[in-house]
Amino acid sequence: MGVPFEALIPYGIIITMFGVTGAGLTAVKYWSNDWKKPRWNRDLWDRVMMERDMRITGTPRGQSSNAEAPKGFEVSNPWKLEKRIF
Amino acid sequence: MARREPQFNQQVLVDTTPMPADIPSVQEIGATSAPLTSAAYFIGDRCKAFNDDFMKCKSESNGKGEIDCLKEGRKVTRCAASVIKDINTHCLKQFTAHWECLENNNHRLWECRKPEMDLNKCVFDKLGLKKTIPGAPENQTPVHLRPTQIYASFPGPQY
Repeated sequence: MGVPFEALIPYGIIITMFGVTGAGLTAVKYWSNDWKKPRWNRDLWDRVMMERDMRITGTPRGQSSNAEAPKGFEVSNPWKLEKRIF
Repeated sequence: MARREPQFNQQVLVDTTPMPADIPSVQEIGATSAPLTSAAYFIGDRCKAFNDDFMKCKSESNGKGEIDCLKEGRKVTRCAASVIKDINTHCLKQFTAHWECLENNNHRLWECRKPEMDLNKCVFDKLGLKKTIPGAPENQTPVHLRPTQIYASFPGPQY
């Protein structure tokens, strides 16, 4: 007793749609990481260094091995502000 | 007042006022995180004296190290920049291969032992700087010289 093919159409749609979502999210993640594998399990040091990479190259994942910083780097260090409690 | 990390900060302030002219300036290092991680042990090898001098100055200056140790700090920056410059001049290919591997592997040194071996060899031949891990047990092979790395995603020998 064969299964009618109409019964398998919903499964095909389900698999396709989950596949589209997964592929899309993967693509967006790679795109937002400059087509590199994403960083994970970052600690405070890594986050601070990525912020410094951003100030040097313009993107959080950009890398440069120059010995000298670009002009204006020495005055672009941000101070974190917090509201006064008292 | 002791330095405290800001909590729940909502905004940042970028103060573009340059340093006063009476403080001698130094060119900041332009290498980003992955090249710095890659070159760290060579910087440590050549600049150990300057770095130790700076840390000694800071620990002896009663919390005013940022102001009192500017001279030592400039030496540290210049020495590190010289190492980066030398590696870029002599071992650019191996250096780039290693830091691109690190950047693709979450800056985990144990994933990139093969490019690291090439880089270490080139730097030792051309510049005479050797990677040594401080405080490693002396009767064992240092971890960066073992072909198999237990935490690496590739379980076999890397080179």
